[in-house]
Amino acid sequence: MKIAVTGTPGTGKTTATELLRSRLDSRDSNEDDGSLADLEVVHLNRVLEDEALYTDVDADRESKIADLEAISEWLQGRESVVFESHLAHHFEADRVAVLRCRPAILEQRLHDRGESERKAHENAESEALDVILSEAVEEHGLESIYEIDTTDLDSEGVADELAAVALNEREPSAGEVNFMGYLT
Amino acid sequence: MSQDDDKWGIAHVHASFNNTVMTVTDLTGAETIAKSSGGTAVKQNRDEASPYAAMQMAESVAEEVKAAGITGLHVRVRGPGGNLQKSPGPGAQATIRALARSGIEIGRIEDVTPIPHDGSRAPKGKGGY
Ligand SMILES: Nc1ncnc2c1ncn2[C@@H]1O[C@H](COP(=O)(O)OP(=O)(O)O)[C@@H](O)[C@H]1O
Ligand SMILES: [Mg+2]
Repeated sequence: MKIAVTGTPGTGKTTATELLRSRLDSRDSNEDDGSLADLEVVHLNRVLEDEALYTDVDADRESKIADLEAISEWLQGRESVVFESHLAHHFEADRVAVLRCRPAILEQRLHDRGESERKAHENAESEALDVILSEAVEEHGLESIYEIDTTDLDSEGVADELAAVALNEREPSAGEVNFMGYLT
Repeated sequence: MSQDDDKWGIAHVHASFNNTVMTVTDLTGAETIAKSSGGTAVKQNRDEASPYAAMQMAESVAEEVKAAGITGLHVRVRGPGGNLQKSPGPGAQATIRALARSGIEIGRIEDVTPIPHDGSRAPKGKGGY
């Protein structure tokens, strides 16, 4: 099982998947949880940095331009994996969880995380326009997309939702939020 | 009509996964001339409902814009509009077609879709126009 966890920066992917990781670690190996037992959690942003899997730099955005092919190769052979990044939907996966967050709150989360005004704002705008959701649906089809609105969830709640996706305990969904109010 | 008699504005089209909205401003962006109330409701079939609703929305905005004496519009599209194969997506395309059909001259069409980034970003054409 390969699960991509994507979403605009600030939606809480890293925090929630770290929680998921620690839940997996503390699991009783006798539990009947075959589908979760050996799931590895990968933070793709760290892989991109550590393995230098980028081709160029976008100076305006202080961002490395991902080498999607090289990352895809790096993921090859990892069959039981949860990989998270705002780029995760660009890679092959059985299920794609798309974390969402109301843009004004996302912008605040990014501010609080110490990000620049410009970065917080462009990401909030991306979230308002469903940029990542649209890309994910385009690449994987509606039947593989599991949209999770994190606006009113704490990280534990988001980790619960991710576990439900992994255990096939919920239906696919997409486009259930409307964040365009942020733009006007 | 000479170029000088033409009055131009900017149509800001916001095209999300299942909604298309448009605001028309003057060339400086400061004055709002017309504003749409939104193309489609959430959870409608985006493939069919969205371009149609976007078209209707654009037709009513076009009337307001013409009444304000605007004869031409530059178009700035923001957002994937539920279809990344074609830029702009179907909602934005329907909007532009409807504006043109209503007799408004269409000038420059620019895609200014924001790019999600977090120390890394996708290459252009792979998300990120
Ligand atoms: N569910 C949540 N509710 C409120 N704040 C959150 C939640 N999840 C994460 N955060 C906070 O928001 C910021 C972004 O979270 P992070 O996990 O880094 O997001 P991402 O990896 O998607 O960019 C962090 O400062 C984090 O502490
Ligand atoms: Mg992160």
